[in-house]
Amino acid sequence: MMLKPRIAVICLLGLSAAVWAFEANDVNPEDAKHEFAWSRLRYTSVGGSFGGLGFGYGGGRAWSRDYPKADIVFLAALRRLTRVDARSYQQVVDLDSDAIFNFPFVYAVQVQTWSFSDAQAKRLREYLLKGGFLMVDDFHGTADWESFLAGLRAVLPAASYPITDLNDDDEIFHMLYDVGHRIQIPGEQYVQTGRTYEKDGYVPKWRAIRDSKGRIIVAICHNMHLGDAWEWADDSEYPELFASMAFRVGINYVMYSMTH
Amino acid sequence: MFQFFFKFSRALFARGQIVFLASWPTWILWLLIVAAAAGLAALIWWYLPKPASRARKRQAEVIWALQSLLVAVLLVLLWQPALMVTELRAQQNLVAFLVDDSRSMGIVEDGISREAQAIKVLQGGVSAGVARRFQTRLYRFDSQLTRIADLQQLRPDGSATHIGASLQQLADETTDLPLAAVVLLSDGSDNANGVDADTLAVLRSRHIPVHTVGLGHEQAAHDVEIDAATVAPRALAESRLAAVIRFHQYGYAGRQSRLLVRDGERVLGSRDVTFAADGAPQSETVLFNVGAAGVKALQFALDVQPGEENASNNALTRLVNVDADTRSVLYFEGEPRWEYKFIRRAVEDDHALRLVAMLRTSENKLYRQNVQDPKELAEGFPTRAQDLFAYQGLVIGSVEATYFTPAQRELIREFVDRRGGGLLLLGGRYALADGGWGASSLADVLPTVLPTGKKTFHVDPANVQLTTAGSDSAITRLVDDPAANAERWKKLPYLMDYQDPGVPKPGAVTLANLEASGRNMPLLVTEQYGRGRSAVLATSGTWRWQMSLPLGDPSFSVFWQQLLRWLVTDSHGRVVATVDSPELQDDGHTALSAEVRGEDFQPVADAAVEAHILGPDGLSARVPMTPVAGAPGRFQAEWNANKAGDYLVEVTATQHPDVAPGRADALLGRDVFSFRRVNGEAENFHAQQNRELLTRIATLTGGRYWRPQELAALVDEISYSPAGITTHATRALWDMPAVLLLILTLCVAEWLLRRLWGIV
Repeated sequence: MMLKPRIAVICLLGLSAAVWAFEANDVNPEDAKHEFAWSRLRYTSVGGSFGGLGFGYGGGRAWSRDYPKADIVFLAALRRLTRVDARSYQQVVDLDSDAIFNFPFVYAVQVQTWSFSDAQAKRLREYLLKGGFLMVDDFHGTADWESFLAGLRAVLPAASYPITDLNDDDEIFHMLYDVGHRIQIPGEQYVQTGRTYEKDGYVPKWRAIRDSKGRIIVAICHNMHLGDAWEWADDSEYPELFASMAFRVGINYVMYSMTH
Repeated sequence: MFQFFFKFSRALFARGQIVFLASWPTWILWLLIVAAAAGLAALIWWYLPKPASRARKRQAEVIWALQSLLVAVLLVLLWQPALMVTELRAQQNLVAFLVDDSRSMGIVEDGISREAQAIKVLQGGVSAGVARRFQTRLYRFDSQLTRIADLQQLRPDGSATHIGASLQQLADETTDLPLAAVVLLSDGSDNANGVDADTLAVLRSRHIPVHTVGLGHEQAAHDVEIDAATVAPRALAESRLAAVIRFHQYGYAGRQSRLLVRDGERVLGSRDVTFAADGAPQSETVLFNVGAAGVKALQFALDVQPGEENASNNALTRLVNVDADTRSVLYFEGEPRWEYKFIRRAVEDDHALRLVAMLRTSENKLYRQNVQDPKELAEGFPTRAQDLFAYQGLVIGSVEATYFTPAQRELIREFVDRRGGGLLLLGGRYALADGGWGASSLADVLPTVLPTGKKTFHVDPANVQLTTAGSDSAITRLVDDPAANAERWKKLPYLMDYQDPGVPKPGAVTLANLEASGRNMPLLVTEQYGRGRSAVLATSGTWRWQMSLPLGDPSFSVFWQQLLRWLVTDSHGRVVATVDSPELQDDGHTALSAEVRGEDFQPVADAAVEAHILGPDGLSARVPMTPVAGAPGRFQAEWNANKAGDYLVEVTATQHPDVAPGRADALLGRDVFSFRRVNGEAENFHAQQNRELLTRIATLTGGRYWRPQELAALVDEISYSPAGITTHATRALWDMPAVLLLILTLCVAEWLLRRLWGIV
């Protein structure tokens, strides 16, 4: 009777080790030598830290939601469907060193919890103004939006960097796929609830912040959860429609970041 | 000295013929000499003791030789030797004095101007000495010859020196006069590239010797002079240009100076220079931003040094036509890469460049960016010359050579070779050797011989190093100051990747190297190919400069703007017009040329070509240009810019009316360029005495080059000129001091030897 708990513990430790390996980027060095690396932003959450092995989300591990499966599945799609020379696994970057400047695309989730020290905010601002691209995802409703803004405005002041809604004919939706008409992409909770929204985020908001030349530097996916759609794309219960849309949007965003 | 011993000048001996005045036949003289020698030999042999030692015999031979020589000299004198010469008749011939009256003759050396020195020479007896035996005429000359009454009319204010034209004018004006000789007093500072052979041939055919008198120092004691300034005659607005300035100096070796580039009062660029050894030619490159569009008269100047003898030769002006055009660059990228994104951002603000991109996003999709209309490149990479040749530059990223059809590859080659476009190949996993470009028909176009193997692309860090050529290149100049630029390159962040580009071909220029894993290899190599140019940048990782350098650092943008501008600046349109010299010095005659090509850049031989010239004082002239025989597509016209000033020329080529009657699209193209005429500036340069030219004139006409202090013998030299009205004269030679000296020497030598050897 004691065997099953032991196996469960062993499996848990094994999976934790695998995740840690990805987190530490401890992989074959030859596999690291590619043009594109999917970079996930590790930030300090309000009232927490970004350390630890933990799973799930909230608190100190908010940045790692859906990590690393969402990243790996999306990269598989990117490598399969495009000519981008992409690494097969993700890269974790933070704002405490200049290493982030080697990765001009960065993806962040649960951004309603993010917070930045002055140095981190300055580094992220410089990253974006030099040519970096930030995609934020998986935050829902009014309260999350306000929390997201609190962190964002430490980086990009509202007066200079207003947030605007993206139009269907905006170039970012027509890079490789024409996704001018989009739907709300729910998280995995849709399988249990049948709802495409979370909290009071009923309407998907495709938004962006542009630089002085009109180029999108921050792509904001509010009231939707693309990361979950990638992560659960292989779940037979998760609708293919959502997963497919999430891949197309994500690929278009990567293409845009590599051309603008 | 020669004349003291031989009674007459060396020139007389050179021109005269030795004759014997005695009525006896000359053969008797030679017979007597032989007989005397034989008699003396017999006599000496008779008296020689027998048997005689070998030394005694040798002594007897020497005595015999001395005695025979003495008898021979005496016999020759009996035959009355003389020199027969052709001599100018007194007061029946004309000698012309030509005095250089140009501005360079006003230069003061050792407290006296060259002009004053000429006057002093003439007044010191030369003029009077000649006048005693000949009629004389006095002329002044600069760009033309003018007869003057006396030396008071000399004014060193002529704006140019044309020695050849002045001699030609003299020859023309004296065809019916007995001109015996020309005395030319000048510093030889000619502004018409010397004296042409025809003028010298005319003088030589009339046997008129030109005696040149060199005035002025052959080498300045303290002077800095710019010899040449080479800069591209055309540029794109706000481009960084490189000008090569060639200069030399005397008296300031090791001293520091500043080389300045000015557009009017505005200083565009500068660099510090250290003077090399006296007289040594020196070249320095100065880079500067040429500024906004328009015709620029750029002045390149070196600081005036304390005590300079001639401060007017420290600056040169060159015209540069700065275009406001936008040049199009087609960038074909085989896969999405950060390098493309950042290059695009770097040139986005550059109004001179339009970067049009074709990017393979997936196997079956090409993403076009920055096209002017939906039809542009809609059919993929161009397959027709007129479509590809509409661009001035072509960048090829990470794509295999075989992606392009053989016809497209040939089109790319012709894009460089015939169209004159610029081709840049970047590094990448499907680029250069890894993309099979080394085995393609385009290998010939590339500036390097690519490696034969694969796996030459590495996603590993590589550091960059500027080469010597790169430090003087406008492509790699990130900041104006050369030293600061070298420092900037040293501090550039490492590249994200690199590729082995192989070995640069002969004639290629390596501007930067890379160092990776302990190996050094070329990074940026350029080459001229046909009418165009090609380059290899063996990386796709320069974007890291933009991301890693501090926000606002322009290094990445500046580098890419300059590299792409280099690629397209000299990619001309279908009509290219030029003038044989953009700056005419004193002489307004020039030749206009145009090269006319069609849409496919093949020469158009039957075009109608016209030059519309706008000049000073509202001048407007239309000059038809005629085809050049044997050179299809080339047209030319002669033009004379009569007035000093700037001239603007627009050359228009249209399809010949017979070929395209009434067609609205008959215009083939147009080109605009400018040139200027300046008067008097050339006189400030090369102001040292040009002894080489003066000697050549004298030698080729039978005259002689003279220093002012040697002129005492000039009158005698002129007297035996073969030109003019002459008479034959004989000059007796028996009473030459040299003859008496020879007789005495022979006698004394025999006496001394007899004493020495004890021979009585």
